[in-house]
Amino acid sequence: MRALIVDDERLARKELMKLLEDHSVIEVVGEAMNAEEAIQLTNELNPDLLFLDIQMPGKTGFQLLEELDSVPVVVFTTAYDEFALKAFEVNALDYLLKPIQAERLAETVAKITAKERSKAIAAQNPDKKLGLNDQVFVKDGDRCWFVSLTNVRMFESDGNYIKVYFDTNRPMIHKSLNALDEKLDERAFFRASRKHIINLSWVEGIEQWFNGGLMVKLKGGDKVEVSRRQAAKFKDMMSL
Amino acid sequence: MISYKKRLYWTLQITGWLTYALLQVVFYSLSNENEIPLRRSVFFIVEGLICLGVTHLFRYYVNQWKWLNLGVPNMMLRVLPGIFMLGFVIYFLRVPVSIVLNVVNVQRLEFDPNQIIIGSLFYVFLLFVWSLFYFTYHYIERYNKSLKYEASMIEIELNNLKNQLNPHFIFNALNSIRALVDENPGKSKQAINQLSNILRNSLTFEKKGLTKFDDEMKIVNDYLGLESIRFEERLKTEINIHPDSNNFLVPPFMIQTLVENGIKHGISKLTEGGIIQVKTLADKNRLKIQIRNSGHLINGAKRGKSVGMGIKNTKHRLKLLYGDEASFQIVNENNNFVLTEIIIPRTK
Repeated sequence: MRALIVDDERLARKELMKLLEDHSVIEVVGEAMNAEEAIQLTNELNPDLLFLDIQMPGKTGFQLLEELDSVPVVVFTTAYDEFALKAFEVNALDYLLKPIQAERLAETVAKITAKERSKAIAAQNPDKKLGLNDQVFVKDGDRCWFVSLTNVRMFESDGNYIKVYFDTNRPMIHKSLNALDEKLDERAFFRASRKHIINLSWVEGIEQWFNGGLMVKLKGGDKVEVSRRQAAKFKDMMSL
Repeated sequence: MISYKKRLYWTLQITGWLTYALLQVVFYSLSNENEIPLRRSVFFIVEGLICLGVTHLFRYYVNQWKWLNLGVPNMMLRVLPGIFMLGFVIYFLRVPVSIVLNVVNVQRLEFDPNQIIIGSLFYVFLLFVWSLFYFTYHYIERYNKSLKYEASMIEIELNNLKNQLNPHFIFNALNSIRALVDENPGKSKQAINQLSNILRNSLTFEKKGLTKFDDEMKIVNDYLGLESIRFEERLKTEINIHPDSNNFLVPPFMIQTLVENGIKHGISKLTEGGIIQVKTLADKNRLKIQIRNSGHLINGAKRGKSVGMGIKNTKHRLKLLYGDEASFQIVNENNNFVLTEIIIPRTK
């Protein structure tokens, strides 16, 4: 796995590099000392894994994640940040406390590689678009999630924001639906109307609607109208 | 707006004396079945109003002379003669009313010495019950207040302890030192000494004591030494100490806390890093300590809780130690620097 280390302290980066020497599965492909650098390097190197400090000058680790389109596996490294870590849903979180203990790092590496192996079986997108296997980082107020796109039923535009529907949550992200649409894999996601993008694997039923449009029912009960303009395209995609 | 306590006071006064007047009417009518003249009822109500007025005046002087601040025995020594005197006052205030309303006894006993004493003693008893309620209420309230004050003091102490041993700083320092062991063993040994000095001092720190200025600066220098390892070229320090500074005693860890605040909220937020400057000016009676750091102070809600807490604690400590003789301020000196300044008086 190719990893990027993000920490503003040189010695902290050096120490982590040294600890990672014992783990040949992890190859450190770059180091960044602030969020700007990290965003640039992530887009350039496309790492599988981020070791990420939360408190950094300029942007914090969270702000960094919010700016990434697709988020690699993230391991937070922090000296003491109980508040920041509490923001997370339990399942989403891997973190290491500094000074990092070798045993604890070994556990984390084992956990990540196991997860990665199961993920690697699913085919990767060649064109680097966001598919069902990718995850995104979502922060809404005090709460944070790493959401796998498989679990996202739909995106709904709301002013300058997008509501992300998954499980029982609907956090908002500050993006435009058009920009998001361009990044999503069109085989997995469909632009139903000006307001909605739906996850095709969640579609449960389709009904005829007024003016030649369609009404799509998603698993879980949400209903989304497909505009007339998109209806033909949708029928095309959903039929054999 | 009438405060809750004022409203409670008036409600109790009015309902209390009105009830008293009504009871008088009822009892009078029971013992004199054949007549309940209107004049009699008016008389009882006026009597109630007199009692209300007198007790209100009594309360005014109790507050004026701060009897509530006295201990119970001292308070009793004043209240008991007071209510005896007021008992007679009520008695004689009521005499003209009874004459005017023509509800006097047939025998004209108003000025009979025995009648005066018995009548007055009845009012003394009423006033005694009134005082019992009034003073008990206030003593209980005071007791609650002192409990609350104690609780808030304990909270401040706890916060001080928490602030002092900032875990974020300690673990980051340990992390840098560990990396330094390979890179520069000599420097890492020095860093361990600096950290152990800070930890030792924080363990022996007494919250109300004072420490020599030089000792405090030793801690500050050790602290800055450790942060320099962490921030490397991003942290520049300038120390400029007036030679007479060591004639002063300072609250332990106060300068260190303010320097740490400057780094935590100033320099650590800047990608390029910045400067922290500690400067003192001393004259015969006062020591001025100035801490400047690169950065910009953001007021209001955006300024997280922790900085507000640190400043609040520092102000509170200064107030406890020096009253109004010390001063504290934190301001944006210009766009690039935040100035924190404390002025401490000389302690004998």
